[in-house]
Amino acid sequence: MNDLEILERVKKVVSEVLGVDKDKITPEDRFVEDLGAESVQGLELIAAFEEEFGIEMDEEKALEVKTVGKAVEFIKEYLAKK
Amino acid sequence: MKKIEEFIEKVKSLNKKVVFPEGEDERILMASSEILREKIASPILLGKKDKILNIGEKIGIDNIGDMEIIDPENSEYLGEFIEKYCEKRKNVNKNVAEKLVKKPLIFGGLMVDTGKCDVMVGGAINTTANVIQAAALTVGFSEGIKTPSSFFIMVLPNGKIYFFADCAVNICPDENQLAEIGITTGMNYKKLMNENPKIAFLSFSTKGSASHPMVEKVQKAVKIAKEKYKEFDIDGEFQVDSAINEEVARRKVKEYSSVAGKANVLIFPDLNAGNIGYKITQYLANAEAYGPILQGFAKPVSDLSRGAKVRDIVITTVITCLMT
Repeated sequence: MNDLEILERVKKVVSEVLGVDKDKITPEDRFVEDLGAESVQGLELIAAFEEEFGIEMDEEKALEVKTVGKAVEFIKEYLAKK
Repeated sequence: MKKIEEFIEKVKSLNKKVVFPEGEDERILMASSEILREKIASPILLGKKDKILNIGEKIGIDNIGDMEIIDPENSEYLGEFIEKYCEKRKNVNKNVAEKLVKKPLIFGGLMVDTGKCDVMVGGAINTTANVIQAAALTVGFSEGIKTPSSFFIMVLPNGKIYFFADCAVNICPDENQLAEIGITTGMNYKKLMNENPKIAFLSFSTKGSASHPMVEKVQKAVKIAKEKYKEFDIDGEFQVDSAINEEVARRKVKEYSSVAGKANVLIFPDLNAGNIGYKITQYLANAEAYGPILQGFAKPVSDLSRGAKVRDIVITTVITCLMT
């Protein structure tokens, strides 16, 4: 899966969980400040990414990921190990 | 009798059920064993049954067979909890909800939320952020509260007890968050101490003796807290001596105040002050410090330090059970 495909699927998940328009999401967007995530929604985003990509992430490290672009990079590492 | 021993005696009569989401941790097993043996509460351990029994046997827990063990992944509650989660959080689909509910912290939170047990104590392995998120997503916040926070019970060598907040969670609370921290800590003071709190919002200024944006934030918090919760004695801003020493209060506080000099709940303006404040009291004044105890949730959920010892887990459980 290339970066662009991962980004598209990350955007889809973010749009579903946070209820924002998929087309308005950019890699620079921060989940809380720019996309309006409640600060408690990290666990939901992690679970939704795990479900979408069929991976299991380290929750503690995943909770430190703050932007859409960083999430793509983070997920890419797990996909490479699959 | 020491206050904490009084708490232990009191909790025994309440017969509470406590869920430990980190049931495979040795310290949790040892603490649960003591909690069950001393009749402090009924522990429920989350995790793989075989694994928990093996660890229990290895470390010599003789009453492990008397404890309830639930594996979230194969629990009879799974279907009910997935439905409950989807009902609460309409933004996630059933598959994602299932993934979440199988996580012990979320499962434990839902056990508390649905009344299958009274409190959850987690954080021996998980981070504070994780425990707070799980609590917020399951039991939710108390009415009118949006800020999770924490308090310490400080017991001085002379027996005097103060509640300090927030010394562990909110780094730089704004005036609204600070007001919430004050009110929530006051409520827990009342529950645990059976007397009315006298809540002092602290600063480096007493009633306008200094002027600075940092002082103004505290003044605004006092105003918000007073308007929101009229039943409690709330006042500030105070320097700490004006808050707890009546002689200083008489000199420095010119207007009538039901709190000045008599405060038993100290609200620090930010985490710098709060964290330094509790540790300086603990180390220089030889006070016992119990906490941080999480607060602000609709039902009690507590966090442990990842370095928590067995005794810390038992005491946190006792205090958390008394907050129901």
